[in-house]
Amino acid sequence: MELLLSVVSSILLLFCLLSLVRRAVDRWLCRRCYLLDYVCYKPSDDRKLPTDRCSEVIMRNPRLRLPDYKFLLKVVVNSGISEETYGPRSIIVGRREERPSMADCYEEVDDCAFATLDQLFRRTGIPPSRVDLLVVNVSMFAPAPSLASRIINRYGMRDDVKSFNLAGMGCSASPIAVDLVSNVFRSRKGMVALVFTSESIAPNWYSGSDRSMMLGNCLFRSGGCSFMLTNDGSLRHRAKMRLNCLVRTHIGANDEAYGCAIQKEDDVGRVGFHLGKNLPKAAVRAFTENMQRLAPKVLPIGELALHAVRVLRHRLLKAAATNSKEPAAGNERVVNFKTGVEHFCLHTGGAAVIDAVGKGLGLNKYDVEPARMTLHRWGNTSASSLWYVLGYMEAKKRLRKKERVMMISFGAGFKCNSCVWEVLRDLDGGDGGVWEDCIGRYPQQTLVNPFLKKFGWVNEE
Amino acid sequence: MTSSSEPLPEFLSSVKLKYVKLGYRYVISKLVTLVLIPVMAALLLEALKLDPAEVVSLWRRAQGMSAVHTLATVFLLVLVATAYFMSRPRPIFLVDFACFLPAPNCRVPFATYLEHARLMPFFDEKSVRFQLRILERSGLGEETCLPPDNHYIPPRNSLGTARAEAELVIFSALDQLIAKTGLKPKDVDILVVNCSLFSPTPSLSAMVVNRYKLRSNILSFNLSGMGCSAGLISIDLARDLLQAHPNSYALVVSTEIITPNYYTGNERSMLLPNCLFRMGAAAVLLSNRRRDRGRAKYRLLHVVRTHRGADDQAYRCVNEEEDRDGNSGISLSKDLMAIAGEALRTNITTVGPLVLPVTEQLRFLASLVRRRLIMAGARPGWRPYIPDFTRAFEHFCIHAGGRAVIDELQRNLRLSSEHVEASRMALHRFGNTSSSSLWYELGYIEAKGRMRRGDRVWMIGFGSGFKCNSAVWRCLRSVETPVEGPWAECIHRYPVDIPEVVKLL
Repeated sequence: MELLLSVVSSILLLFCLLSLVRRAVDRWLCRRCYLLDYVCYKPSDDRKLPTDRCSEVIMRNPRLRLPDYKFLLKVVVNSGISEETYGPRSIIVGRREERPSMADCYEEVDDCAFATLDQLFRRTGIPPSRVDLLVVNVSMFAPAPSLASRIINRYGMRDDVKSFNLAGMGCSASPIAVDLVSNVFRSRKGMVALVFTSESIAPNWYSGSDRSMMLGNCLFRSGGCSFMLTNDGSLRHRAKMRLNCLVRTHIGANDEAYGCAIQKEDDVGRVGFHLGKNLPKAAVRAFTENMQRLAPKVLPIGELALHAVRVLRHRLLKAAATNSKEPAAGNERVVNFKTGVEHFCLHTGGAAVIDAVGKGLGLNKYDVEPARMTLHRWGNTSASSLWYVLGYMEAKKRLRKKERVMMISFGAGFKCNSCVWEVLRDLDGGDGGVWEDCIGRYPQQTLVNPFLKKFGWVNEE
Repeated sequence: MTSSSEPLPEFLSSVKLKYVKLGYRYVISKLVTLVLIPVMAALLLEALKLDPAEVVSLWRRAQGMSAVHTLATVFLLVLVATAYFMSRPRPIFLVDFACFLPAPNCRVPFATYLEHARLMPFFDEKSVRFQLRILERSGLGEETCLPPDNHYIPPRNSLGTARAEAELVIFSALDQLIAKTGLKPKDVDILVVNCSLFSPTPSLSAMVVNRYKLRSNILSFNLSGMGCSAGLISIDLARDLLQAHPNSYALVVSTEIITPNYYTGNERSMLLPNCLFRMGAAAVLLSNRRRDRGRAKYRLLHVVRTHRGADDQAYRCVNEEEDRDGNSGISLSKDLMAIAGEALRTNITTVGPLVLPVTEQLRFLASLVRRRLIMAGARPGWRPYIPDFTRAFEHFCIHAGGRAVIDELQRNLRLSSEHVEASRMALHRFGNTSSSSLWYELGYIEAKGRMRRGDRVWMIGFGSGFKCNSAVWRCLRSVETPVEGPWAECIHRYPVDIPEVVKLL
């Protein structure tokens, strides 16, 4: 009797312990977020927007005067964008720019979504019925039923798929979608998530004459990306990267920051996307705050300690200088992120943005090259730009096992979101993706627009 | 919705093997309990067989154990117990919620609606008569409200006016919620906003962050295009986020902005939303902090989502499109009721095993088995067993999409008129407020003083896609009749009797 009691009780205790351990292990495994694959969108060549076509489109707006044309062409010529970026078909052919039809809007999104998703399913070999979570992010086009439902319909996904359709979240929505996925992953193991991110230009084309709103027309280009994430350990061997950490910063509490990139109506009631003059200031604030929170998560202790010492030294010197009324010696040096991260995917918001962020992170020409070249080849494709930059690095065979990749982007609100991935295996086997046909020509030494000769007069004032 | 001549399909006529699989999974998850019970029973029997002398000797032996031995055993037991309790999923509490109460000057009685419709330059005579017939049968009352800019002829539709409506409804609801709960905006960790038909950039969630000066490390999400069931989708997202982040507050805001969505054409299938959709918003505070258990009203038990988008017919039955003249609006197809029934059926097959008492589940399983066994010799007119959901829930909040939806659900789920009273009265007083309607209905039940501790509430939402989402809540404390809120002024007049047809002309 006693023996039975002790044997049974010890078995039960062991069983309880084992199941608890198993639960804890499962929960820890659920936190893993692997990137299986990603596919960027390459529109067809008839949608290319070289400078002369840009000028055609600009001239079509009857509300603009000569100074406005000059301003716009100057923006286009100096933007660092090449002749090979893409625009929406309906705008290029001049079809209903002022009131685009729903059919045009759907056509623009369908082209991108279905092309990238078809390829993604093919490459990963994972059928649509295996997808448990779907996140769609198209900031400026949110019809009902949602684009998420549209994708579920097209691919016949299961009826218990969790879908989320994010809208209005701006150019920094890629890390937001990844954040959503990694949080939902913690609730269940063995999940596969599909994310589609793009931007809709056709319904948001500005046809007025407010300069701050015309910038959007000049800089945004068509593009998109679909990627697949999973927390299923059995798919780990196929995964390319693993998510290490993610930091989101939202400084919308500040009125100036909230209003610096906002969709609104101009004086005569035309809707456009206003980019304010204080946008760089908001970007710097959000960026600084984000980096302050990210640094402890990615940098090695040595660099953090060194930076703390530097800051302390600078403060002491400054205090000493003010006391003795002598000029302070030495500047406060920036944190060297390269001690913790090897590759940088910077949002291709514009040449100035890339340069400023590069300087803030202490990067050299080699580090910002992927972002500059992506801006040159694809323009500002909004939230999907980070994936084109990643594609460049992969096409150039830069990504090696155990290296870390940082993605950082900015968006309306004002937000700055960043995430750090760890590469799981040497990514030198695949084709170049969307960069396949042109990677040989990069990096280009001069990014000057070839039409500078023809339109160079815009720079003379 | 127009009362369709087609009834909802019988729910359970073709339930798949899914139910059996669910049952199996249920058994496996309770395996430990099932194994433990006979073992404990056996031990108890053995213990009872012992005579007092043996019990005394056992006790002496136990006392004689070395201190280390005892300490180790106790420590192990405590460790296991703690680990067990800490590994359980965090409970999600609904601390409180608030609904927007429109000002009386936004009211649109039938006479006003029809007069405006006649004066609108874009409606022809047939469209006006059609809208009249819809209103007569709609189940709406005379106090539903449209946003101020919709009172103009023609309505003032612009980005500015849409933003103004959003600010009005969302900020009112949030101000009320903050006053009721004493919430400090800086304490909010998660924010989810859903608004189907209006999504400016920056998003409405950024607008809330800006107005209430929320923290810079907030996790904000803005869902759009997800239809009338998006309120429960937001709750689902907030729940997943709260599971991942301990000690947090989540704010969920559900609304639908009417201003930019007034249909200005003459297509019949697209005129219905004009007649039924009204202004509304709800703000909900969720928490996973254990100290909120004392003051929270409800606890979230389950959220089940069903998406029928893979079926083309279901996908297109609620569709935003343009008519021949290029006017955009929401078109509702004639087989909406059938599709809603299909979606509900699928949803119920997942919700049922989670909430129904064992007897109901066994009965249902038996009926299923019987049907499969005697398929060949099935008597015509044999009715499948519909589980009695009133044994699982005390209160029902059915999306007030329209009178026909509520009628059909009442019939098919065998609910009494008291069970659907909240939905009917919310439709009557506030109209179809889309994703926030479920919260107005919950507010009605509370205002009537019917919510008691331990009561379970089933919220069912339908929406474009086609989706059917359910949430199950348990009431944690008896809710006193609120002195403020959207129902405070008018609850004494309810329930009202709503005739089948209200003759307007």
